[in-house]
Amino acid sequence: MLLEATGIIMQFGAFRAVNGANLTVTEGGITGLIGPNGAGKSTFFNCVAGDLVPTAGTIRFKGQDVTRATPEQHARLGMARTFQVPVTFEDMTVAENVMVGAFLRHGHRHAARRAADEILGFCGLDTLAGSRAGSLGTPGRKRLEIARALATEPQLLLLDEALAGLTPAEVRLAIDLVRKIQRRGITIVIVEHIMEVILSLTGHAVVFHQGQVIAEGPPRQVVDDPGVIAAYLGGSMKRVRTPTP
Amino acid sequence: MILLQVVVSGLLMGAVYALFSSGLTLIWGMMNVVNFAHGDFVMLAMYAAFYAFTLWHLGPAFFVPGAAALLFVLGVVVYLGLVRNVARGPMLAQILGTFGLALVLRYSAFWAFSANFVSLPENLVGGTIDISGIRIEASKLLGGAVALAITLGMHLVLTRTMLGSRVLAVAEDRNAAMLMGIRPDRMQALAWGVGAATTGIAGALIALFFYISPTVGESLSLIAFVVVCLGGFGSVPGALIAGLAIGVIQALSAYLIGAVYQDVLVYSLFLAVLWVRPQGLLGKL
Amino acid sequence: MNINRIATILGLLVIALWPLLVHDVFYQRVGALVLLAAISASAWNLIGGYGGQVSVGHVVYFGAGAYASLIVFTRWGWPPLAGAPIGVAVSLALAALVGTPTFRLRGHYFSMATIAAAELVRILASNWEVTGAAVGLMGPPVPRDIWDFSFTSPVPYHYLFLAVLLALLWLTWLMQRSRMGFYLAAIRGGDRAARSLGVPVLRYKLYALLLSAGFTSLAGTLYAVMVGFVDPESGLGILLSVKMVIIAALGGAGTLFGPLVGAVILVPLEEATNAIFGGGGTGITFIVYGAIILFVARFQPGGMAVIWRSLTARTQASRGKNRAA
Repeated sequence: MLLEATGIIMQFGAFRAVNGANLTVTEGGITGLIGPNGAGKSTFFNCVAGDLVPTAGTIRFKGQDVTRATPEQHARLGMARTFQVPVTFEDMTVAENVMVGAFLRHGHRHAARRAADEILGFCGLDTLAGSRAGSLGTPGRKRLEIARALATEPQLLLLDEALAGLTPAEVRLAIDLVRKIQRRGITIVIVEHIMEVILSLTGHAVVFHQGQVIAEGPPRQVVDDPGVIAAYLGGSMKRVRTPTP
Repeated sequence: MILLQVVVSGLLMGAVYALFSSGLTLIWGMMNVVNFAHGDFVMLAMYAAFYAFTLWHLGPAFFVPGAAALLFVLGVVVYLGLVRNVARGPMLAQILGTFGLALVLRYSAFWAFSANFVSLPENLVGGTIDISGIRIEASKLLGGAVALAITLGMHLVLTRTMLGSRVLAVAEDRNAAMLMGIRPDRMQALAWGVGAATTGIAGALIALFFYISPTVGESLSLIAFVVVCLGGFGSVPGALIAGLAIGVIQALSAYLIGAVYQDVLVYSLFLAVLWVRPQGLLGKL
Repeated sequence: MNINRIATILGLLVIALWPLLVHDVFYQRVGALVLLAAISASAWNLIGGYGGQVSVGHVVYFGAGAYASLIVFTRWGWPPLAGAPIGVAVSLALAALVGTPTFRLRGHYFSMATIAAAELVRILASNWEVTGAAVGLMGPPVPRDIWDFSFTSPVPYHYLFLAVLLALLWLTWLMQRSRMGFYLAAIRGGDRAARSLGVPVLRYKLYALLLSAGFTSLAGTLYAVMVGFVDPESGLGILLSVKMVIIAALGGAGTLFGPLVGAVILVPLEEATNAIFGGGGTGITFIVYGAIILFVARFQPGGMAVIWRSLTARTQASRGKNRAA
């Protein structure tokens, strides 16, 4: 068991965004967190990532209690994350951005540079290595965020809507990258809206509604669950025809 | 008895601190920009009051609202000309922006009015009032009472009126406010105007019972920072309580250990608050 | 051989040979003062430019160094330079006091705390007999031996300050290329993102501040050694804080040579206006400084460095050299 979140409650004043949610992630898979807007999945995600301290509940990563751990400690322990709106370091080059991640594991500049170069090649960013991060478009920035997080050599990678705002062609490229990352041995948890992504990428889907998990299991099964459909009624759930492989 | 008098005196001065500090907390709460020139705004108001009287023989009934209006305009101008641009930039630009403004205002006053202290005549709001053995100067009593009233009024306007809730909405979440049809730019300009107007009133009131010099801005800015931090960023009621507290602490320390060290105590208190409880009494970080 | 390298070499050459190029003691002294200002501003640059945390009360570290040097002389007869370690130690303690609670908060808190700390120390120093109260302290009236570093000519000071400046810039250059430099750039680029990559934000901000405070203290000691006098105004006054910031910001905060460029522009300017208008008694100096700060903040926060880059980029492009964006 790589990650175990139990009984997570997140309360903001009078508003309870997450109301007793559980999540178990085993090594090697890709887990998808889905649900209509406001279902609490992003808040839950941020609790797991260390951005928020849950009001109640525990989170264990590799057996260690990380419920109150800071984001820096998360990274050091091997849990990395990307942000929904990319926060790349605009004034640094692409390579320098990735080096910041690499410096977590390599104290010296040359070692960090070598590690960063490997990641840049892996993510297909090597041609852009010397470009200013701010000059990249959205797909480039999202890819850079992922590369930067990978440079911290995580066992668990949390992707926060990493494929939102991309064209279908870009989505396919991103899916390829995520699969590559999984083959590298990294476990992935992804928050996503796009059905195509959930169905083709994830092995295990967890559906959030009103702060709780209402269904989980293989994505095709979950998607046909009447409870899940009822939760989405009135909201929008994009059903993009799945591409022929 | 003397101790009680010192405390009362401190409370009255504290009310004035609360007034201009609530202006600062409003500005800061609105848009995450700290006005390093806040104390110098107060200083300008003090001189405005002084010259309104010495040149045109206008009494406090005129120069207090007059200073408020003048500083309101200055606040809006500063927002439109400077703050709006630096707010979205790097921290260096933000802080240097109002810091540079503070220097320009302070030393322009220094150059224009000379370093000598001036003051309004003591009989302008004359006399001393005796309340069960405590002697208070009428000018101080007036100043404190007006300051208190306006601070409370500001709090009520912010929390009970439509306009106030619009201002608070922008402070809470600029983008959400825009989606609701509120114009953040206008609300922020208004906040700067009102924030500056509080310094106008405060300065004009202080001029009634205190000496006026170009460099008071520095220590008044620091007092405003302490009050805002102690009271809690963005909280007007917090600024009120903290202002009164600082006024009393300052008065007591001047009486017990000497006027020279009164500021030392306030600044040390500031650093202590940062260590122990930076969110202050009533605010969020 | 690109234009930056040429300009750097030429510039450093002129600075190194300056006392030999001019023979008037006045100009030689200006040269030494430029270097001293460059040291202070380059030290400020470590936290204000690279660290992105704007200290507007940095004079407190300068004063610690200056006062420590003259206190060890007046109290124990030591050569003023021997006070340097004490000044540094006091500065580090003050830096930790100011930085530790404020670096986990928004940037404004740190800036406000620096003013409060500086004013606090200034008032205390103005009233303590060990620091000479309002009168201040003086150094050795006649040099007793070589260790007093008391020279009649500005030339030895010029080279002493140059050595210290080069050491500081070399250290800054190393820092910039190391993990610390990358982490500070990441912190400037975004606290939240930096933390998610494992950057210990609070710790690195403190490192930058401690380094900065230590070198600023050294600058204060060097000042006391050369001038032989300090009082609350010259050693702890707000004018010095302002100068440090404006010299660094005008030249380009966060760049290696920005503070030096700023010093080369502003120090001779100040000396010239003092000579023409007879001292900064009327406060015009502050008005000008404030206006410069305002304009830099409002229109070009990157300072001369950005202007230089855009000028040279144009010449590079016009020569057909293409640089990847």
